[in-house]
Amino acid sequence: MSSRTSRSSRGPVTAFLLRRTATLGVTVLLASFVVFLIPYVTPGDPARKIIRSRVAGAVLDESAVQALTQDLGLHESLVVQYLRWLGRLLGGDMGLSYASRTPVVEQVLPALWTTLSLVTATLAVAATVSVVLGTVAALRAGSLPDRIITTVTQGFVAMPEYWLAPMLVLVFALELSLLPSAGWAGPASAVLPVAVLALRPTSYFTSAVREGMLDALAGEHVLAARARGLSRRQTVRRHVIPNGLLPLATLAAVWFAGLLGGSVIVEVIFAIPGMGRLLYEAVLNSDIPLAQGGVVVVVGLAVVLTTAADLVHGLLNPRLRGHHA
Amino acid sequence: MRAVLRTSVSTGFVAVLALSACGFTGGEEQGERAADQGERIVVDNFRAPVADWSLESDAAYILSLSGCLETLTRYDEAQGEIVPSLATEWQQVSPLEWDFTLREGVQFQDGTPMTADAVVASLQNVLDAEVPARAFGPKVVSGVEAVDERTVRITTPTESPLVPYRLASVNTGVLAPAAFESGTVDPFGHCTGPFTPVSEEPKQSLTLDRNEDYWGGPVQLAGAEVRFITDGATRATQVQTGEADISLSVPVSSLSALESDPEVEVLRADSPRTATLYMNNGRAPFDDVDFRRAVRSALDLDALAASVYEGAALPATGPFAPSEPWAPETAGTPQQDLAAAKELLTAAGYTADRPLEIIAIVERAEFADVATVIQDDLKSIGVPVTIRTAEYAAVEPDLLAGNYDMVLSQRNRLIDIADPIGFLSADYTCEGSYNLSHFCDEDYDRLVAQAAETADTEERYELYTRAGQILQEQAVNVWLVNEQAIDAVRADLQNHAQDPLSRYVLHADTATPGP
Repeated sequence: MSSRTSRSSRGPVTAFLLRRTATLGVTVLLASFVVFLIPYVTPGDPARKIIRSRVAGAVLDESAVQALTQDLGLHESLVVQYLRWLGRLLGGDMGLSYASRTPVVEQVLPALWTTLSLVTATLAVAATVSVVLGTVAALRAGSLPDRIITTVTQGFVAMPEYWLAPMLVLVFALELSLLPSAGWAGPASAVLPVAVLALRPTSYFTSAVREGMLDALAGEHVLAARARGLSRRQTVRRHVIPNGLLPLATLAAVWFAGLLGGSVIVEVIFAIPGMGRLLYEAVLNSDIPLAQGGVVVVVGLAVVLTTAADLVHGLLNPRLRGHHA
Repeated sequence: MRAVLRTSVSTGFVAVLALSACGFTGGEEQGERAADQGERIVVDNFRAPVADWSLESDAAYILSLSGCLETLTRYDEAQGEIVPSLATEWQQVSPLEWDFTLREGVQFQDGTPMTADAVVASLQNVLDAEVPARAFGPKVVSGVEAVDERTVRITTPTESPLVPYRLASVNTGVLAPAAFESGTVDPFGHCTGPFTPVSEEPKQSLTLDRNEDYWGGPVQLAGAEVRFITDGATRATQVQTGEADISLSVPVSSLSALESDPEVEVLRADSPRTATLYMNNGRAPFDDVDFRRAVRSALDLDALAASVYEGAALPATGPFAPSEPWAPETAGTPQQDLAAAKELLTAAGYTADRPLEIIAIVERAEFADVATVIQDDLKSIGVPVTIRTAEYAAVEPDLLAGNYDMVLSQRNRLIDIADPIGFLSADYTCEGSYNLSHFCDEDYDRLVAQAAETADTEERYELYTRAGQILQEQAVNVWLVNEQAIDAVRADLQNHAQDPLSRYVLHADTATPGP
């Protein structure tokens, strides 16, 4: 009986997984086409922009422009260029950077590793702080500490990174000489950028943890636990906190995806050689393969992460799984 | 015309020349504390190498400012002329050939001798580049060969007195043959300069150690780190915190904080960049010189420099910065004269039948404000103006085709070589490849053609002066402000000479007293 039940529930789950995976593939393919088109819908001749990125100055040698156009196949139709690019991409070849003439993948992977480190540290800090603040706020809902936590963390959202980053540098690097103002060499150099990036997720995470825990506190299973004689502390530890943290996992996955490409300002200000700065400079230099490779990786990871979060959420939630399936 | 330039200098002469350049800092007051030869310093540069270390790219600037890459000749800002570097003398041996005599006793940092064959191989690599440097590409140089162990011959397709200037371009820096063995350029241990690059953090920094065997004498610093920091405010902060000793190209917004810091010195020099209101001389009403002069008379350049540029740029006197050796000595900034402007408009028969358009290039954020000031000035003489902001790449075809009224732009006059011939030819001759103004004047073209064949430096500069005066008399454009190169250094830095083009920053005598 139990094995029949297991087989019967495996069918919808498999279908759900297949459907989500297929959606993932289509999404990535569509995203790749949009990414491929970006440099072509911006004004200006790519060959001229590429030469300017390598040899500064306004006056260009027209014969060099023509030669480069031929050499890079820029004279061919967009469809031909896209298919050639996609074919290489599927084989793990992102092409050569126009500016440096080195493989794009050799530039993207170190930058990705740097950004992954930055984002992981950011979300770890944001999650830790928000679990503490959200728990306190939920357990003392309506009290002064709750109101202070809610007001302060909501204020974080109103602090733009381009303002906060110089302010923190002014205080901690210039005035107090406690931390380096820029660079990416050791834990000390990560403190300020992580602090700047962590502020907004901390705000949203705290709110999510607080709401999740309030929902859990009002749940029947909590009342039942208390009725069974569990202390408030035991009830909170066993039943409230685990349920309260569920929305945090989904939210963190979404933020992780967003920060992969959304840390441009912080990476430029703090001179961090991550994906944001790589994309920023690729655009400035009209380095089409580098920009395409970088965006594809960021978008691909973002789609995979959000889909993974969706899958986990769906698998943990039978009602949601049924809806998806 | 055959010219012969012979110069022979002692080894230390180059260093002395470098120290005499503009923006010299350090002196008796700072000299009270002895330089510490165990010290290392940090230079914050505004760009990272985008094209690996290819010499034809801007990466050559980074290798040069780092004290790694050296050229056969170099341009001395203070003297306004080419001086010896890895070559001690040069001469034009035939109309199309120049011979450069290499300095004796120079070794690459890998210990191999700098021979003519090695120099030829290095220059040939630049010449063969997929995208050649304009200063040293096949259009201006047809061949490089070794005549003997110490003589390199450069052949040009047409007679040119500017070959020694081309050999001062950082793109012609000389690396050892081993630098090219892998197919890409590897400068590590292959330069001739006072500093040897030893490690690189891609997109972050280049670390250099002292070259103990430098041909130019003892190197004061133990080493240096050149950081690539694109954000100007961060560079300014780092020189204030002491994290950097030299910050190149600091933004105007940081000037007040830097200038009020006693531990920081702000250095300024004329840059070869002039913000310019280009006017389409080929299209009415700009095809009338009186109308163009009216526009010039309507503008208050002093107010523009003081307001939009907050004093970080100086009102322009013409197409050249006043400090350039070919700038006319008596030139002054055109003064605003609205009454004269209105008379000129009448003389031009101008009727405001359509608003004129100024295109402000978005790559320079301040141009939107500059356009607004100009719009206001022209309104006061009855010339209606609209403003359009656009990316340069988007409007370039229209600019080159002559489909515009006015555009705000700026360009580096000396980006190829330390001589304005390329700028004067490309931008203002009838057949100029970058003649945005669509200006054409036979007298002007004759002067520029004559200058291009004149070997005598003073005579050539005089021709440039006269060409510039024609441009100003004809009010081809309104040259608005001369931009300043602004660097910030720690006040205790010794023997530092500011280079407006940031080609030469670290050299053998750069020193610091240490903590």
